[in-house]
Amino acid sequence: MSENNNDIVLEMTNIHKSFGKLEVLKGIDLKVTRGEVVAVIGPSGGGKSTLLRCATTLEKVDSGKIVIGGDVLCDTDESGRLSYCNKQLEKEIRSKFGLVFQNFNLFPHFSVRRNITEALIHVHKKSKEEADKICDGLLAKMDLEAKANEYPCNLSGGQQQRVSIARALATNPEIIFFDEPTSALDPELTKGVLTVIKELAKEKMTMVIVTHEMSFARDVADRIVFMDGGVIVEEGPAYELVTNPKQERTKTFLAGY
Amino acid sequence: MELLRTTLLQLGDGFRFTLGIFAFTLLFSIPLGLLVCKGRMSKIKIVSLLCRLYISILRGTPLMLQLFLVYFGPYYLFKANTANVKIGPFDYRFIATIIAFSLNYAAYFAEIFRGGIQSMSQGQYEAATVLGFSRTQTYFKIILPQVTKRVLPSVSNEVITLVKDTSLAKVLSVAEMFTKASAAASSQVSVVPFIVAGAFYYFTNLLVEVIMNRIEKSMSYYS
Repeated sequence: MSENNNDIVLEMTNIHKSFGKLEVLKGIDLKVTRGEVVAVIGPSGGGKSTLLRCATTLEKVDSGKIVIGGDVLCDTDESGRLSYCNKQLEKEIRSKFGLVFQNFNLFPHFSVRRNITEALIHVHKKSKEEADKICDGLLAKMDLEAKANEYPCNLSGGQQQRVSIARALATNPEIIFFDEPTSALDPELTKGVLTVIKELAKEKMTMVIVTHEMSFARDVADRIVFMDGGVIVEEGPAYELVTNPKQERTKTFLAGY
Repeated sequence: MELLRTTLLQLGDGFRFTLGIFAFTLLFSIPLGLLVCKGRMSKIKIVSLLCRLYISILRGTPLMLQLFLVYFGPYYLFKANTANVKIGPFDYRFIATIIAFSLNYAAYFAEIFRGGIQSMSQGQYEAATVLGFSRTQTYFKIILPQVTKRVLPSVSNEVITLVKDTSLAKVLSVAEMFTKASAAASSQVSVVPFIVAGAFYYFTNLLVEVIMNRIEKSMSYYS
């Protein structure tokens, strides 16, 4: 894949982030090209989720630059001054990505259908018919056609997560972030969710997936990024990194799986 | 029998005022409570502090004292003549009652709402944010409906207490049911008016219970 600027969907440069005295991200660089699937692995507390939260505007970075779909979310000038884009652009940037949470975060008082269509209708100003059509298509893809009028509390964890993937896909984003999408699920339910993500990978959906499912990362991701202690310790083609890690730290971590 | 009939008529007449105090207090105290709750949770220190103070004082002093303060305050403080103050059919006696009740109940509601709002998981806000909902949309579409369900049992408690508290308006001689009951009891030299008043309060609250249960049930389609 050629790396001209149009093909880079996400670019994070020299990202620093601290919570109080705790430095969680110590200068992260991450580039994701269109159609690429990047898995981020590493021990808990290594900064994976924080990185994702910074990319999805849920946390503000301390310094660094983030570009999503060609729009600059934030940048740091030479004197080290950080500036974020205005609210209008931030809203536009938010429509360019989707985020799937570890614990789904579906809206419990909305039916499955409304969970998926609400943002389409009230943020993206689509008609009810249009939104329903998009919703039906996604539910079919997620094998959940029969559940459109159910409420999240009546679904299994795996089904809820598939609904939340559908919700993230509904606005046709350029990139989808997954924050440990199967960590709240038992192995049986995990399978269904991973199958859906695999399907998306086949369709060349650009994805960044924080995960502890090593074999899944190896099989589905194009590239794996191993993070620990707030830095990227090692990154490379998925299969190679898992089967033949270069760094000692990576080897120790992978030996645990 | 005749006596019971006149008692019922007298109390029924006072019951209109009881219902009036009840309804107006709910009408004003719930929105005011929401506002105080928002203020209490505000990031602006001074706003939050003032709301805390408001809640602390209104909850920490007797409602009866607050009734006196609102009713007599304007005259004692500013020599204001409240005798001619009238809004529609309501004299200042009644208006003062509504003001004191609303201010007092708003403090309780504010804390109930705060409990409800703070029990919401951060994830609901985050999901709404990344989907592009504005703050107002998030509040009214995502947060408030869920908070309503969560606070309903506590709100029922307050509403039931309010029905009974309306009897405090007697201290301002508002012609509500309890005032009438006391008058009837002393003129008849009988406890019957009190028993009848008790029945009025009880059945009103039974109705409140049934209604609140219905509302709770209507929201039980999700958990």
